[in-house]
Amino acid sequence: MIRMIGGEMPEYAEEHPPAGGVLLRHLLDRLPTGIRVLVAGPHDTGLIGALAERRDVTCLIRSQPDAATIPDVTVLCGTLSKLTDADRYDMVIALDGVGRLCSPEDTPLDWAESVRVLARSLRPGGTLLLTVENELGVHRLVDPGTPTAARSADAWRPLGEYGGTPGRPDRLAAALAAEGLPVAALATAWPLPVSPTLLVTPETLGRGPLDALAALAAAAVSPAYAGRSVLSDPRRLAASAVRRGVGAELAPAWLVVAQRATRPGPAVVPLPPALFTGPSGAVTEVVGTPDHGWLRRVVRGWSPALSPAPGDDTEHQPGPSMTDRQTEPLPGGRLLEERLLTAALGHDLPRLRRLLTGWMTELPMAAAGNVLVDGDRYALLDPAVPDQPDALARFAHTLLDGGYHHPWPGVTDPARLIAVLAGAAGLDTVPETAAADGPPGRREQEAQLDALRQRLADAEERCRFFEIELEKREAELGRAKTQIAAFSGNLGYRAAKAGLVLARAARNRIRKGRS
Amino acid sequence: MHHGNHFYGHAHVLAGYCGLDPAAPPRIDGYLQHGWNVVDGLGGGTPYAPGSTIFVWSERTRRRARSMGRPLATVIGAPFLYLLRSTPDDTAAGRREGTIWYPFHGWEGQKVSGDHHRLIDEITATEDGPITFCLYWNEYEDRRIRAVYERAGRVICHGYRGYMRMRTDAGFLRGQLAELRRHRRVASNRLSTAIFYGTAAGCEPAVYGDPMYLDREDTPTAERIRREWPELHGAAPDPATAREIVLAELGDGWLASPAELRATLGWAAA
Repeated sequence: MIRMIGGEMPEYAEEHPPAGGVLLRHLLDRLPTGIRVLVAGPHDTGLIGALAERRDVTCLIRSQPDAATIPDVTVLCGTLSKLTDADRYDMVIALDGVGRLCSPEDTPLDWAESVRVLARSLRPGGTLLLTVENELGVHRLVDPGTPTAARSADAWRPLGEYGGTPGRPDRLAAALAAEGLPVAALATAWPLPVSPTLLVTPETLGRGPLDALAALAAAAVSPAYAGRSVLSDPRRLAASAVRRGVGAELAPAWLVVAQRATRPGPAVVPLPPALFTGPSGAVTEVVGTPDHGWLRRVVRGWSPALSPAPGDDTEHQPGPSMTDRQTEPLPGGRLLEERLLTAALGHDLPRLRRLLTGWMTELPMAAAGNVLVDGDRYALLDPAVPDQPDALARFAHTLLDGGYHHPWPGVTDPARLIAVLAGAAGLDTVPETAAADGPPGRREQEAQLDALRQRLADAEERCRFFEIELEKREAELGRAKTQIAAFSGNLGYRAAKAGLVLARAARNRIRKGRS
Repeated sequence: MHHGNHFYGHAHVLAGYCGLDPAAPPRIDGYLQHGWNVVDGLGGGTPYAPGSTIFVWSERTRRRARSMGRPLATVIGAPFLYLLRSTPDDTAAGRREGTIWYPFHGWEGQKVSGDHHRLIDEITATEDGPITFCLYWNEYEDRRIRAVYERAGRVICHGYRGYMRMRTDAGFLRGQLAELRRHRRVASNRLSTAIFYGTAAGCEPAVYGDPMYLDREDTPTAERIRREWPELHGAAPDPATAREIVLAELGDGWLASPAELRATLGWAAA
C-alpha cells in the first residue's frame, strides 16, 4: 500500500543502486521479530521482503516509480520532512544514509536535521540503524569523480565534503549523542557505503589482527572496483590504511546502531569485531578469544568445496542450518600479495624467491590476494574463494600493470616475466598466462605511460647507437673486401693495382715538387 | 649482444648452467658484468646501448648502477660463482699449498708502471710457501717480464679472455678455478676480480705491495677501493670477514635457478 505523504517525485527513479547485499541481509535477519520498523530511503526489495516476513515494515521513499516496485508493505511516498511523529517505530533503518530522503519540494535538510527527523519517529528506547558515508573514505580518495561535480539528476545540492556529515567515528558518536541517540555499536563499512561486504569495529581496527584485517579490506575493495575507473589501486590504499592504523578514519562508511535514550542490556543489533562475506556468499565473523587470539566462524551459508569436482554443479544454498559449522583460528600473518610486492620493491630477491616458492608449493591455485603468510605458513584468507589456476600469471600482471619496481626491470613482456617468476618459484613448467586487466588506476596508467615514453626514447637512441656501430662494421668490411680482392685477385688485376699505386705515388711526387 | 659477454667464457658458463650448449651460448639480452668493479657493472669504456639491461653480480652494484642512471641493472650473481657451485672440488683437503699471486695488470691497451723487481722481493719476503705467479696474457707473452717472475716461482697464465668473440677461451674460468683450488692463499697488489674468485674458491686473501698504477689511471678510484674495503687489504686479512665480504660482492645467495636465469637472460625461447 502506498500512502502519499507529500513532496514525492512522480517522474524520478533513483539512478544509483539502493542499499543491499548479503552482509546487510545477514544483519537484518537477526533483528528481533514482531517489531515495527521504518525503512527510510532506497533499500533493496529483497532486503525489505526479508524484514517484512516477521515484522511490521513501513518504507519511506521519495521516488514514486520506485515506491510502486515495493511489494506487500506500507510505503510512505514523499519527502523526509513530511514524516510526522504520529507513527512511532521500534526501529528506523537508514542503511542508505540520509542523502536520498529529501525531494526537491522540501527545504533541503542537512545531515543533523535529517537525523533529527528520523529520531523523532523512534519510540523511546527505539533503535536507529544508520549508515554514514565518509566523505574522505577510500572510495572517495580513489574516485576520479567527486560529488561536488556530480552530474546525476538528484545532485541539486551537491555539497560533498563541504556538508556537515561527521568526519570521524568519535565525532559521529558525539553528534548522535547530542541528538539524544547514544551509540550502542559502530562498525566501519567497506568497500562501498550502500553495499558493504566487510564490517569492522574501530576497536578491532585499533587492537585487532591488523595484518589479517588489512588483507580483508583489500579483498573487500578488489571486486567492488573491478572494471571501474579509479585514481589509484584501492586495494593498496585500503590495506595500508588499516595496517597503518587509520582504517577507521578512511573507511568508506560507518554503520552505527544508536538508541533513543539508553536502555539496559546489549545492543539490539550486536556487531561482532569483524564480519565479512566473500564471492561465495558465505558470511564469516571474526571474534576474539579470552586469551587474545582470534577466531573466524562461518555464520551463514558455507560452501565447503574449494573447487567443485568436474560435473558437480550442485549449488550450495546458504541457510541457517549450516551456521556455526566452521570455527577455526583466524590465520595470522600478512597478505601474500603485499609481502611479494614488498620484497619486489625492496629488490630482496632471495625473499621474493622464498615467497614465490612457498606459495607455489603450498597454495598454487590461490590468488596472491587470498593468501596470508606467517613465517613459513601459508593459509587461505577466505577458503570459499574459487581456485585461480593462473594466480602466478596474474601476479606478473600486477607487477607490470601496477608499475611496481621489481628485480627484473629489463623484463617488460608479460609472458617473459611469468617465465621468470615461474623459474624463481622453482617451477619446471611455465604456468598458463592470464588475461591482462590493464593498469588498476589512473596513477598506474600515468606511470605506464611514462615508462613507455622512456622505453621509446631508449629504443630510438639504441637505433642510433646501432647505426653508428653498423657504419663502423661496414667500413671494416669494406677494408677487408679490398684486402681480399687485392690478395685473391688474378695476376692482371694485381698488376693493374700495383700500376695504379705506382702512378699515384708518381703523381704525388710531382705535386710535391711543384709546391 | 655486446662481445664482452663472451669474455672469459662467461656466456658459455651460464649457458652450460642453464642446460644449453656451452659451446654456443645464445645471445644475451643485455650486458654481463665481466669483472668486479666499483661502478655500474660495465667495464670501463664499454659503449652502452641505451635501455639495455646490465646483469650485475651484487645488489650493491645494482643500487650503485641505478644511482648512476642505469635503472635496468639486474642482479644475477657472478658467473664464476655459478661455475664454482656446480664444479665439485676434487682437490683433497690439505693438498692446497702456497700462494697464487696475481700481479696487477692493465688490459691490452694499458701499460703498468712500476718496478716488478721490487714487488717480487716484497712477495718472496711475505709468502712462506711456494708461489705461483699468474700473469695477464700480454705480460705472459712478454718474455722479459715473464723471466723476471720465473726467477721467483712458477709462472702461469689462465689464457686469453677473447675479443670480439674471437679466440675466446671458453674454459678460462674452469682452468682458473682448478688452479685456485690448488692454493692456500690468493694475493695481489690490488683488490681485483682474482682476489674475489680466489677467496670464494677457498683461498685466504691478501692484498699488499706496490699497487703499480696504470697510465692515465683514475687514482681516486683505486684509493676509494682501498678505503672502502680495508678488511680485504694487508698481508693477512681475517679470512672469515674477507670471505663474507667477497661472497656478498659475488652475489652469493642471489644466484638464479637455471629456469629463472634462462628467462632473465632472454633464453626462454632458445
